[in-house]
Parts: sequence; structure tokens; C-alpha cells
Amino acid sequence: MNVVGKRIKRIDALEKVTGKALFADDLKFDNMLYAKVLRSPLPHAKIKKVDISLAKELRGVRAVLTARDIPGEKNIGYLGDPFRDQPVLADDKVRCEGDPIAIVAADSKEIAEEAIKLVQVEYEELQPVFDLIKAMSKDVPRVHEGANVVGHRKIRRGGVEAGFAEADVIIEGTYKTPFQEHAYLEPEAGVARMDNTGNITVWACTQFPCMVREDIARVLRLSLNKVRVIHTTTGGAFGGKADISVHCHIALLAFKTGKPVKLVYNRSESVTSTTKRHPFIIKYKTGATREGKLLAVEAEIIGDTGAYMSCGVAVLSRAAIHATGPYNVPNVKIDAYTVYTNNPIGSGMRGFGIPQIAIAHEAQMDKLAEELGMDPIEIRLKNALEVGSRTATGQFLTHSICIKETLEQAQKVAREWQYDILKSEKSNKRRGVGVGSMWYGIGSTGYPNPAGAFVELLDDGSAMVLSGCAEIGQGSDTVLAQIAAEELGTDAEKVTVITADTGVTPWARGTGASGQTYIAGNAVRLAAIIAKETLFQQTATDFGVTKDKLYFDDGAICVMGSEQKILIIKAIKRCRSLGILTLGHGSFNPDTIPLDPQTGEGSPYTTYSFATDLAEVEVDTKTGETKVLKLAAFNDVGKAINLTGVEGQLEGGLSLGLGCALMEELIVDKSIIKTPTLAQYLIPTAMDMPEDISVGIIEEVEPSGPFGAKGVGEPASIPTAPAILGAIYAAVGARINEPPATSERILAAIQRK
Amino acid sequence: MEVRVDFRVNGQDVGLDVNPMATLLDVLREQLDLTGTKRGCDAGDCGACTVIMNGKAILSCLTPVLQADGKKIITVEGLAQEDKLHPLQEAFIECGAVQCGFCTPGMLLSAKALLDQNPSPTQEEVKVTISGNLCRCTGYKKIIDAIMLASKSTKK
Repeated sequence: MNVVGKRIKRIDALEKVTGKALFADDLKFDNMLYAKVLRSPLPHAKIKKVDISLAKELRGVRAVLTARDIPGEKNIGYLGDPFRDQPVLADDKVRCEGDPIAIVAADSKEIAEEAIKLVQVEYEELQPVFDLIKAMSKDVPRVHEGANVVGHRKIRRGGVEAGFAEADVIIEGTYKTPFQEHAYLEPEAGVARMDNTGNITVWACTQFPCMVREDIARVLRLSLNKVRVIHTTTGGAFGGKADISVHCHIALLAFKTGKPVKLVYNRSESVTSTTKRHPFIIKYKTGATREGKLLAVEAEIIGDTGAYMSCGVAVLSRAAIHATGPYNVPNVKIDAYTVYTNNPIGSGMRGFGIPQIAIAHEAQMDKLAEELGMDPIEIRLKNALEVGSRTATGQFLTHSICIKETLEQAQKVAREWQYDILKSEKSNKRRGVGVGSMWYGIGSTGYPNPAGAFVELLDDGSAMVLSGCAEIGQGSDTVLAQIAAEELGTDAEKVTVITADTGVTPWARGTGASGQTYIAGNAVRLAAIIAKETLFQQTATDFGVTKDKLYFDDGAICVMGSEQKILIIKAIKRCRSLGILTLGHGSFNPDTIPLDPQTGEGSPYTTYSFATDLAEVEVDTKTGETKVLKLAAFNDVGKAINLTGVEGQLEGGLSLGLGCALMEELIVDKSIIKTPTLAQYLIPTAMDMPEDISVGIIEEVEPSGPFGAKGVGEPASIPTAPAILGAIYAAVGARINEPPATSERILAAIQRK
Repeated sequence: MEVRVDFRVNGQDVGLDVNPMATLLDVLREQLDLTGTKRGCDAGDCGACTVIMNGKAILSCLTPVLQADGKKIITVEGLAQEDKLHPLQEAFIECGAVQCGFCTPGMLLSAKALLDQNPSPTQEEVKVTISGNLCRCTGYKKIIDAIMLASKSTKK
């Protein structure tokens, strides 16, 4: 292959290094107004009265809107009906800190901020529901009309009672994972503008422009064709820009004022009002033979979805499906509960429920290994899924299952690291090596998530690609250019990719579930093939051969087994002379089988990615302070379309995993966020990353993927925290079941021993 | 009440009437239309607003614009000379050090301030230099590789 698999430079790198890339806050329009949102400081309260009169009178204020000013639908929700439970502007009740109540548009940011302070809201405080376990009982208030337990995903396979009865060893554990913040560098921002024919355009950062279009259309009561959403260069998302943030608010204000309106969040507002990773409480029970063969897994997973559903039940479903870990388990019983509280809204965050459950399933494997006197990697190898395995949902795995390969590669490296540790001097600093493995189903869990694409091969052999796929920093624009270029026999530089502008690009799923290379990539490939085949058809006719004999080579179309050839440019010109255009369209949707509501049986994904990480840490036994000395990632990616891009995702994933393991915890006390700034919520800096980082891939073609590719974005970040926690245990015998493993927690665990 | 301030940005002299409470970041982005410098937190926690003032990397979100009076400022827009990219910009592209791009301008300026003072830094010195520039995408490895690569080409 000429383009796919090559380290092509990112097509958006130049504009980013020169400061020319336009993020939403960089946009300016004439007569632009500035917006600000009034948000509830209380996590649970009735709204008795909202008085906007003083705010409206302030000089320079152009609009002050509340729920009653919404012309169309008043509620939104990522999963759509029946889960649209989140008000665009709170009307009778607020259910979390940061719930929006009023929005203002004014001539300047300062005036908008003043106006917000003048809006008077009378609240009747209600008891907040902040304890996740208590939230499930009948003794606490209801966050919404129905019960607080809003979802229950069941996975049932075989019979766990019999499985445990047969087991020689049973390991139990309780694990708790905290609230986490995406902490993308770009705070949310957007601009909306009406034109004089009733069309509205919204420029904003988002993972899902088509969903934004749909919600704005519903809220403003416009038909979809009158709403254009243009995705701006997005400064990171990690799942936190999948939900509506600024979009409906600026649309409403632009609609009412007839002027362009910009809204930019400050950092505390971004942390406080947008979504978080779901905290989980997990009770896990594993039964195995004394040879280390897994017989039964039973787990109860409780996820705090906060005030609104957002992706809640989808996150808990994914966690339930993957709860066994990448291992063969004949008897499985998983119950995953999605629970409303008045805490911050839980939604997608890189890993979508799997990072939390992986902490549990990997700690369980380590405990099992220790109990049986087995090597932690050996026990994983013994149980690893492979071609021919059936998952807990009964899905038969038929191809591209490389968890064993990742473990085998990790094992070689782990032995070297452990040997070095044995040779090193003992001091109050102890070193240890840990391993973590994971699996991740690509694409949305058992429901349709298609992407469409248009490709046009232009007269000079260059090409246009139009795709709804939102680039959020992960490199999808470049990947799509490479896929099209490969199919069209040209270079990536000759392909212009226009993405995520609903006025131009067709429908595409949101960027998430590590699925854009696989799904949007397939759509682009199919569209490019049609454009190519149109060209080939004419050339074949002219040459008197069949289309299947033709191939591209070095700027020409050649014929297998013949000297005949024609320059691509000439072949295109030939088509044009006959009035033939070389256009293609494509769409792709993974063919999944949704889960049975009682047993969880189904085939929720058409392909899975697998990975194993190794970590070596050094723990100071006097202070509990932990340094990560080495990280290694072994990822099964199907095919790396762009190896530099894949490495970048893997290295970035390691940093997020390290943060999850050692430092990231959003402190929420009685539903109020106590750490809303980046000085309080710490994410890894360059100083926290070890010098010794190695990332490697296994490429075994996924037949249904574009050129064999699967997905890597989330797999990159999931096994790291389990590996680091395992390494801490190996170093000092302290098991941290409630990450992050801060120095205080490690020291306390050492002292408890 | 506005106040006059004069300074040099990317080689050009500017004289502006500014709100005395404004930060250098505010003025660069809003009055000078130099939107390459980013606002990540407005609190000095993330480093996205890093520019160079009289040779030193500073956080423009914490710098009152009046402090820039009489000084020389370099922003990301001033790195390339006409059509020629700065070696750091070339290296960032070459090494795959750019993902979402939001931290990139701040990283480039922190790195330039280092290389202008210390043309042959060690890996550790580079890490310390960018320790105040947060990145959520890259894990820092390719950024460090890029700065080390650029240091080799600036030496020539």
C-alpha cells in the first residue's frame, strides 16, 4: 500500500503550529453579542420564582431568556427518547449544581456577567441525593418522577451457583472509582448566527454535530434543513463534548436577537456544568479451579449517573458486557444499575465504563494469581479469549482476537523489568511491575451508529472527501484522507477532507466508541471505491477488458497481464468528455445484535480491540509517594492506518491512565464540586510521565475494517491504571481498591498491612 | 477609563488604548486579533496562554497588559519568518507532536524561550521547561522528541 500504513504528516498540523487553526473562541463576527448563563448554585431545589426584570433593564443587554422563551421542545438527552430528561433551561426544578436557569446576550462579556448577577431566583432547597447506595433506596427523595434506579442491565450465562460450587478458590472484592473530569484544554465555546431567511448556523466544538443539529431544530421548532452545525477545531473532548453544552443556548439567543451570539465557558464553569466519568461501586466475585481456570464471575456494578441520564444506561451496559475482562468465563452473572442522584452528570469519558470495571477485573485476576501462586500474566494467558471463544453475551468470536499476543509480548518485557528490579539495591523505595489487560468493543453497543461519506475525484486527479466525522484531535481527518488516497491511487496531500459541517457533509455518528476509523473510514472507502469504479468502468470499456483487471500504479491505470495503460488524468478527461462524473457515496453501519433485556445475550459489536499494559513503579515506603518508572503498551489494532497517529493515541492514553491511577479524583461533597480548577483537579504534567515509554502494536487484519483497521482511542487508556495499581501492590503489598492511589492512601494501606 | 500602552509584538510596534484591568491575553486576542494564543483556564494553571516577553516565557493570562508596556512580545504568530517555519514548528509537525492543537502554541513558546537561552538542553531540562504546559492528548512524549529534534537543527 502506498498511503495507508505510512507515517503521513497530519493534514491539520500546519494550521495548528502557526496558530491559524480556528477554535470556536477565535471566531469573530460583526455585531456579535456575548452570552452568559445563570446556573444554579444548589444541587436540588424547586424554582419558585425567576425575576429577569432588572437584568433586562441593564444597558447593553439584548436578551434575557428563561424556559418559557423556548419555542419548541424543552428537553434534551444524548440517547434521545425516552431519555430526554435534561431541560435546556430549568423550569420548575434544578437537579444539580450548574443547572442552567437563564441566559443573557449583551454587547460585551462584562455586561453579560453583570446582567446574570441581576437575575433573581427564589429557590426552595430540597434535600440533595448524594450517596449512591442510599439513592437506590426508597428513603431518599426522587431526582425525577420515577425511581432513582433508572436502568438495570443483566448479563446471564450458564449458572454461577454451580460455577462457584465447583470452584477451588473464590476471590471477592469491592472497588470504588471516583468522579473524573475530562480536562480537555479547550473550554466549551460556540457562536450562533441567524440569516435573514430563517436559517441558523452554529459554529462550536462538539463530538456530534448531527445530534446538535437535531436538538437545535427541536428546540427552535425548525426543520433540520434550516439548521447548519459547523464543527470548529476542537481542543480535545474525550467524551466530554458529546453532550449539548453551549449549542442550544447560543441558538436561542441568536434566534431571539437576530444577531450573532458567542458563548465561552470559563474553566470552573466547564468543570462544574458539563459531564463527568460515572463513579462506580463494584462488588466482584470470581471463582476458579486450582489450576487457575476461571469458572464463574458475578458482579454488581452501580453507576452514579448524576442528575440526568445523558449516556448513563449505555455506559453501564458497556461495563456489564465487558465485566469479565478479556477472558473465557462459562458462568456469568452481572447486574449493572444506573442511578440518578443530584451529583454531577455522568456521561461518556474515554473508556465509557470499561476503565472502571477493568480496575476490578484486573485486580481480581491479580488476587487470584497470588492466591494460587501463579504468575499474573500466566493466569491471564490461561483464560484469554481467542478465535472460537464465546463471550458472556454469547457472541462467537471469529477473527482478529489478539489478547494472547499482547500478553505474550508483555510477558517478555515484564521478565526483563523484573530481573532488573531483583538486581537493584533495596532501600525504602520499593519497585514493582504490574500488568493490566482489557478488551473494548468498537462502535455503539448494539444499536445503529452509521456514518456516510461523499467522495469526488477531480479533473486533475486530486479529490474531495466529505464526511460527517468530527475530528477532536485524535487524527481522524488525516486517516480519512489516507483511506481515500489509497483507494484513488493518489497521495494524501492531494485529498482535501471536509468534515463535520452539516450544510455540506452527510450524516455521521458521533465521535466516540473508538469507532471513526472503522465506521467513518469504511464509509469513505466505499465512496472512494464507487468513484474509482466509475473511472475504471469507462477505462475498461475503452480498453476492451473487464473492470476487475485494472489497477492504479504510479499515476496511471494499468491492466493486469497487458501493456495497456493510461494516465489517471487522461482517463478522467475521457470520462468528462462523455459527461461522466467520478463521484461516490458510501455509508457503513456495524451489523450488531442488540442485547436481550433479560439475559444480555447478543452481539453488541462487530469487532473488539484488545490491549495489555505494563507498568513499573517505585514507591517510597516512608511517604507513599509513587513514581512511574516505565510504561509499555501492547495494542491489537487490526491495521494502523497511520503509525504516528496510533502512537500518539497510545502515548496520550498512557498519560490519562496514569492520571486515573495516581491523581485524578474530582472531589464532590454533598453534590457540590470542590475541585473545579486545574490547580485543584490535577492531571499529569510532563514531569509525571516516565522517560521509558514504549508503545507497540499487533496488526492482525480485522476483515470488516477499512484496510483491516479496528479502533485504538479508548483501548489506549484503559489497561494503564490497572497495571499501575498492580505494580504498586507488587512493590509494597498495598492493594488500592479505591483509586486514585494517592500517597496518603498508599501509606495508609502500607501501615494497615 | 482607558490607558495608552506601547509595546512590540512579533516585530511590529503597537500602541493601544486598553482597559487597565485587562490582561495581556485579553489584549492579544481581542484587540490585536492574535487568536493563536489560547485561553485554557485564565488562572495560570494550564500554560496554554504562554508567550515570550523580553526573552522570558510568561503566562499572559496572569500578566496585566500594562506590564507589557515597552516590552517585546513574541506569540505563535511570530514564530515563522515570512514563509519559513521555525525549526520547532517543523519538528512538531515531523514528530507527530500535534493532536488537538490547543496546547501547541503555549508549548512552542515555552520551548522557544528554552532553546533561545539553552540551545542544547537535556531531555530533563525540556521536561522541566514544559512542566507548566498541560497537554491532555499526547502524553508529552512526541512533544519532548520534537523539542529535542529542533534543538539539533537550531544548533547547525
